[in-house]
Amino acid sequence: MKVFIDPPNSMILFDLVERFGHEPLCAMIALREMVNNTEIDMPPMNISLDDVVKGLKYAGIEVPSGIRGRLAVWGPLIEEADAAIIMEDAPFAFGCVGCERSNQMVKYLIKKRGIPVVHVSYPENEEQGKLIVSKIKEFFEKLKEIS
Amino acid sequence: MSEGMETRVIMISPSSHITPDQLTRMIHMSGKKVTVKETCYGCLVEGPSETVREIRDEIRNLDPNGIFSKVRAYPCGDQRRCRAKHGTRPGYAQLETEWKALSYIKIGLDASNRGEKPKEVTQKKQLSVTKFKKICEVG
Repeated sequence: MKVFIDPPNSMILFDLVERFGHEPLCAMIALREMVNNTEIDMPPMNISLDDVVKGLKYAGIEVPSGIRGRLAVWGPLIEEADAAIIMEDAPFAFGCVGCERSNQMVKYLIKKRGIPVVHVSYPENEEQGKLIVSKIKEFFEKLKEIS
Repeated sequence: MSEGMETRVIMISPSSHITPDQLTRMIHMSGKKVTVKETCYGCLVEGPSETVREIRDEIRNLDPNGIFSKVRAYPCGDQRRCRAKHGTRPGYAQLETEWKALSYIKIGLDASNRGEKPKEVTQKKQLSVTKFKKICEVG
């Protein structure tokens, strides 16, 4: 099962999804293709005009370009996902979560797709760590029962 | 980096007894054709996807719930990211933040393996407007 993780470059979520035997959909895999694609050579990240246009599918022209750029990478992943895990209240430095508007758009797109979602909070103590692991484990067990 | 190649960040939880040196030595000793780079938080492994995943599973045996990994977009020593070539490292702030939280996840995974059920954590409630007004009035 393909699982979208938010924040999309979280190591904690990526690792947990893999541990429970599923395929995480993350920003790193999407960016790897751009970084390593030698057919087009537009350094540093091979961003072409097509990528900017892709973002328009997920956010209007009046939306700041940073949000459109993020959604151009994350949007196709959300479309591909069978389920999603969202981590709330992540600190500012936690991945590319510096933009709250992008986060809201991601949550909206996930809700619009209607895929199963689990919300967990960023771990700040041992009890929260236990809660995150058990919530994600239960989520995958329930998904297995449904499918 | 050609297709089918993968770069992986291997990170050790702060509560683990494993050191980055031990990890790197173990990967070198496995004799698999991969590139390994020792870092302060663990190591970077680059090679064919299947081999990298095999290595991930092997090194997890050292400390099953204390070693974490994720895929990395940039290859090892990439000039755009490598500090030796004055590349920027915007991901470091995130790695540091996540590294601190890994010990909580390790505890969570250990508890899950024991079949322990977690206690419900009470979430902090937002301050009501009336209470906030009272605080302002006192000030």
